[in-house]
Amino acid sequence: AASAPRPWRLFGAMCLLRLPRITQPLAKEEEEMAALTEQIEMEKSHYSDHEMRKLEEEEQLRRRKESTYDDDEAPGKTVIMAQDLEDKWEQKLLQFQAAPRVTDADKNNNRTSLNRKLDSNLMLLVKQKVGNQELWLLPQAEWQPGETLRGTAERAMAAFLGDHIQAKILGNAPYGIYKYKFPRAIRTADHLGAKVFFFKAFLQSSDLSQAELKEDYLWVTKDELGDYLKSEYLKKVNRFLLD
Amino acid sequence: PCRAQPKKKKKVDVKREQAQKDRMKKKIKKLEKAAPEMIPIEDFITPLKYSDSKRVRSLPPLSFEETERRVLLMKKWCLFKQKQDKAEKKAIQTLVEAQQEALKELRLESEELYQAAIRRDEGLFPFEREGPNYTPPLPGYDPPEGKCVDITKVYTQ
Repeated sequence: AASAPRPWRLFGAMCLLRLPRITQPLAKEEEEMAALTEQIEMEKSHYSDHEMRKLEEEEQLRRRKESTYDDDEAPGKTVIMAQDLEDKWEQKLLQFQAAPRVTDADKNNNRTSLNRKLDSNLMLLVKQKVGNQELWLLPQAEWQPGETLRGTAERAMAAFLGDHIQAKILGNAPYGIYKYKFPRAIRTADHLGAKVFFFKAFLQSSDLSQAELKEDYLWVTKDELGDYLKSEYLKKVNRFLLD
Repeated sequence: PCRAQPKKKKKVDVKREQAQKDRMKKKIKKLEKAAPEMIPIEDFITPLKYSDSKRVRSLPPLSFEETERRVLLMKKWCLFKQKQDKAEKKAIQTLVEAQQEALKELRLESEELYQAAIRRDEGLFPFEREGPNYTPPLPGYDPPEGKCVDITKVYTQ
């Protein structure tokens, strides 16, 4: 049976997410609650071995000061006190420098780097030519007969980032759809408009030095999408993005 | 006469061996019938050294303001968590709706692509990912040397 000519052109687009590397800062209520639970836990707990040792040594010191030179223990013997251990650990902690949470790319607002905004999701946007306009879009490719839509989305991703990308695509089903009609000038009976199906994937590899990025690309968070995408497109994309 | 003697030896040996085997089997059956010993759960048994009364902390009793502050904080926390939960559920709802809409449109387009889309993805699960930490990894960090000795007690029934 001959299928009726479909007037909609199909595209598959890939929304590649770089997942957060560090935890988001706690809200005020969360911080207060965390402090409260710590306090309650401490109140309900018993003394640990280390604390018992510390208390005993404090008692010994006090007794030694009150009763003059009560030398039952040999004076030459050097005993490591629990307090000394604590001071040593404190010193060691202060010497360690952890990597900063706010990176250089954050300060320069370099949107092409993957190292900024480590506590939120970053999405890939590329500049593509649609019709006769250059637009910022999620990487998309036209569907060709013989492949599934997921294959189209994978092809789109490979076209922009090269073949050596490790991405986990979340399932065979599309996450969202953006439907638009062509402007009247190029609208024909056969080509009424286009449907873009979005797929989601998580970026597994952390460095993209091998990726051959040909065109302009950006890694942006959900809030910054509004700076680049058109309003209708943005509305549809926002529906399937969790903050 | 010479022929009869080895035969006796064989019979007596065979009988003795049979008797030994039966005794062993009876012992094994008795052991198996006895109920297996329970494996103690070490987390539920507090070691005796922690029930010493000297270990109890001596703290001043909580003031009235402190208890009031705690109660109010608990209520605020309750509200905060409820809002967070509702927001999460709403977000999941929009996600599902968007996907359903996409699948509906796809079905209108082509049945074959729709069937390919709703097929289960075998390679998706099990999905493993390491969670976010407080600070990003330090490039060129050399962790200190050390050896981990596992002293967990393993019980067999």
